[in-house]
Amino acid sequence: MSDNIYLPKMGRIIDVNSEVEGARAIKTFRVEFVNGDGFDHECGQCAMLSVFGKGESMISIASSPLIKEYKQFSIMRVGRVTTAIHDMEIGDVIGVRGPYGNNFPVEDWKGKNLIFIGGGCGLAPIWPIIQTAVLQRKDFKDITVFYGGRSSRDIMYAKELEKLRGDAEVHLSIDSEEEGWNEFCGFVPTNVMDKSPSPKNAIAITCGPPIMIKFVIQNLKGAGFEDTQIYTTIENKMKCGIGKCGRCNVGKDYVCTKGPVYSWADLKELPQEY
Amino acid sequence: MEKVLKKDNLRDWVIALSSYEVHAPAFEDEVWNFKQVEKPEDAALDHTNTVKPPKDFSFPQREVYCEFAQKKGEAPMVTETLPALAAPKVVFGVRPCDGRAGPRNDTVFSKEFDDIYYWMRRKKVAQVGLACNTPPSRNCFCTAVGGSPHSEDGLDVLMVDLGDSYLVKALTKVGEEIVKAGGKALGNASAADKKTAAKAKADAEKAPMREIVDIKTVPENLQKNFDSEVWGEMAQACIGCGICTFLCPTCHCFDINDEVTNVTPLRGQRVRTWDNCQFPDFTMHSSGHNPRNTLGARLRQRVCHKFLYFVQNHDTYQCVGCGRCISECPVGIDIVAVVNKVAHDVG
Amino acid sequence: MVNLQDIKDRAKALLENGEVGAVVGFIESTAGNLASPKFITEADQADGLIWDPTCVHNLALYLVEERKRQTKAAHGHGAAPGGEDKSKRLAIVAKGCDTRAVNVLLQENYFPRDDIHVLGVSCEGTGMVDRYKLAKKLKGLQAEKTEFDGNGYKVTTTSGETVKVAAKDVMADRCLECRHPHPVIFDDEFGEAVEDRGLADAFAAIKTVDEGSTADKWKFWGHHFDRCIRCFACRSVCPMCYCEECVVDSINMHVLQDTSAEEKANRIKWIERSATTSENIGYHLVRAMHLAGRCVDCGECERVCPVNIPVRLLNSVLDFEAKDTFGYDVGMDPGQPSFVSSFRDDDPNDFIR
Repeated sequence: MSDNIYLPKMGRIIDVNSEVEGARAIKTFRVEFVNGDGFDHECGQCAMLSVFGKGESMISIASSPLIKEYKQFSIMRVGRVTTAIHDMEIGDVIGVRGPYGNNFPVEDWKGKNLIFIGGGCGLAPIWPIIQTAVLQRKDFKDITVFYGGRSSRDIMYAKELEKLRGDAEVHLSIDSEEEGWNEFCGFVPTNVMDKSPSPKNAIAITCGPPIMIKFVIQNLKGAGFEDTQIYTTIENKMKCGIGKCGRCNVGKDYVCTKGPVYSWADLKELPQEY
Repeated sequence: MEKVLKKDNLRDWVIALSSYEVHAPAFEDEVWNFKQVEKPEDAALDHTNTVKPPKDFSFPQREVYCEFAQKKGEAPMVTETLPALAAPKVVFGVRPCDGRAGPRNDTVFSKEFDDIYYWMRRKKVAQVGLACNTPPSRNCFCTAVGGSPHSEDGLDVLMVDLGDSYLVKALTKVGEEIVKAGGKALGNASAADKKTAAKAKADAEKAPMREIVDIKTVPENLQKNFDSEVWGEMAQACIGCGICTFLCPTCHCFDINDEVTNVTPLRGQRVRTWDNCQFPDFTMHSSGHNPRNTLGARLRQRVCHKFLYFVQNHDTYQCVGCGRCISECPVGIDIVAVVNKVAHDVG
Repeated sequence: MVNLQDIKDRAKALLENGEVGAVVGFIESTAGNLASPKFITEADQADGLIWDPTCVHNLALYLVEERKRQTKAAHGHGAAPGGEDKSKRLAIVAKGCDTRAVNVLLQENYFPRDDIHVLGVSCEGTGMVDRYKLAKKLKGLQAEKTEFDGNGYKVTTTSGETVKVAAKDVMADRCLECRHPHPVIFDDEFGEAVEDRGLADAFAAIKTVDEGSTADKWKFWGHHFDRCIRCFACRSVCPMCYCEECVVDSINMHVLQDTSAEEKANRIKWIERSATTSENIGYHLVRAMHLAGRCVDCGECERVCPVNIPVRLLNSVLDFEAKDTFGYDVGMDPGQPSFVSSFRDDDPNDFIR
């Protein structure tokens, strides 16, 4: 079957963690390949997860390539496939094919300050870089993480973010005030403005709701960041994952192969079709 | 290898191809379409062009990827379902425009990832072309997109109508085998036959067809006028059906779905079907957000895919000028007119 | 006789007086022997209007499409590139069948009467051309243009010849069998009502199919459904197929901010995307059933089918049942009760009372 790009490999769920509950529930799954039939990936790449009888969904791989034992996926429950995945438990078997798409040029960022700016579910695609940078802490200069949710209950990776302090500067935010919340109240772009990170020798990586990304980029530009210093990811509906089924293109680029990672310098040249 | 075939001997050639599955255009239900030849005496090449292009020989509307089964509490069992390897196919009467679609589709289904389903079928199909001495449709425009009514590109054999006979030219190794298989049904081509064919070609290339103005500048102008209001205006009458793309010889977009045939225990198939950029659900995210939410945006996608993106990615137009999307559009949306308008007539 | 200039003048006046935001009429297309529907928004564009036997389209469709666009824009989903949405009245040029479609839409409260302006045009003694019949008649020549010529058509071919044909020989079946070639609802009326056209009996086409045995019918329809490529042109072109979400859609098409994941996950796929016999039958029969007592027999579904499946016959059978069994004539009056949700006190079956 190895030549058949459409047939998934089998992965067993070895850990499930509920990050956020409610209407926009997020769960994190760790998946190990069955029969050692896996693949390596790079930061930013995605995998097509399948639940037979329901279909497939493209999900970003949320663990560092340096972690070989499992692949992590943090998934918001949105439709048919993601709801079926949310219903799965430890030991259940899921289809996985990939890795798909391009990656963040993490090697080129060694020796630089990294600024991560995430909102909502948007922490997952940039998490592999954060993990990698922490695992190779000496290779990178300052690491700063901005992350915000609608409320304190919407903060994903809460424990992991706490553990990150020490290795990185962590700035959390929630949209409006809550009792017992000691960090920033307001939107993520405002929090970024508030802490005004320096563009010097820095790369900013942002992922989250489109409206957040828009204002984050606007604010970073205001703070003196060049277009080539800003990276983000985009998403579109996908079916094949390999640039053939024709639906995920933004201009000439199929996001599944040429994306999802773009520098703002490249992305701003593409039409707003995402 | 060039041979000559008396029109009356087409039947003998088809009979000689007994180890192949032979297909040819047939007129049924008032439309021309490719059909397996059951009686060799029925084989005739007096068609205009088929309504459906020959793309489904390699890329059928439905392809089963695999079968799956899962008992409660157990891991899913998946069985790969590759196309059954039947006898190789010979398709007669392929027009040169449709011939040129082949290499374009080959590009799509290979590149970084080879598509096993496509290639297993594709390698079993030989296309015997029939040159167009006169344009089969008023909406033909192969010459506007770099083709020719006598183009050999993508074909295994090209036949040229000489009046009472055809000049038969083998273009590939597979083509040579097919011509050789014809044995005595085909005779040697004389210098006069070749001269007649050359003249037919020269005349055909001069025949008036629909024209795209200054095609070389079309991609850059489409890019420049990407945000033009004209897209929306030209799409206003569009009913949002799938005719233009399903009948297009180069449109390759598809969907993948799980079709459940039994719920408990779970059994079903993962299936690829043709899909289509003119349907709103093609790009609609699960959240309801749709990046191509209007008829204008979807018309722009179809046209730009063929005349801009494909050029940027593969250095050739993804349109072969067969004219089906024009002739069959229920409301007369005309890709030639759209291209000319957006590329050259946007103020 | 329909005087085209009258239609143009009226369209012009409507636009100049600001009575409507657009007139949807017919213009010549570049595709050959086919009119193209066009939203005319400026008075001077009205000169481009045409009226000939290729004005086949049922423009009531655009009343539906425009309403959908406006609703979508109101939900913040953006207007088409190239046209800010004018939430103004819309005028359409409509033949007899098209006006009956307008009546059904009014009957179903799709839009209020005041929002539309109907320029009703009579088909008089003829009707619209059928491309397959014409192709047969032209024996290899291709039609470029077809014009009315008394009780016949004047056809100009791509090679410049003029061929005169009797309309009866190349008219669409739907027009031959038409019971109401004159508009039944209109704000302006063009052309005369012609009585006793004597072209063909109503429901003539279904009678030949209906005569066969059940096995014959399965053979007939099996053959045709097998050929369906599921391009959905028949659905897309139908003014009555206005559902936000269709049974054949693979996903929820009507997703709002508060549509839950469960709702999407639990959506039943009644009909798979595969163009197989069973799924195609499912699609066509569901569509036919949903059109019972609603189909006005404009025949557009059949006209647009690229592989020439006689889609219209399915609807004609139900139209016949409505007429024959219940005396119901579709789309004659916006006030008439809906066919499937009404009953008569004198219904012979007592379960319904």
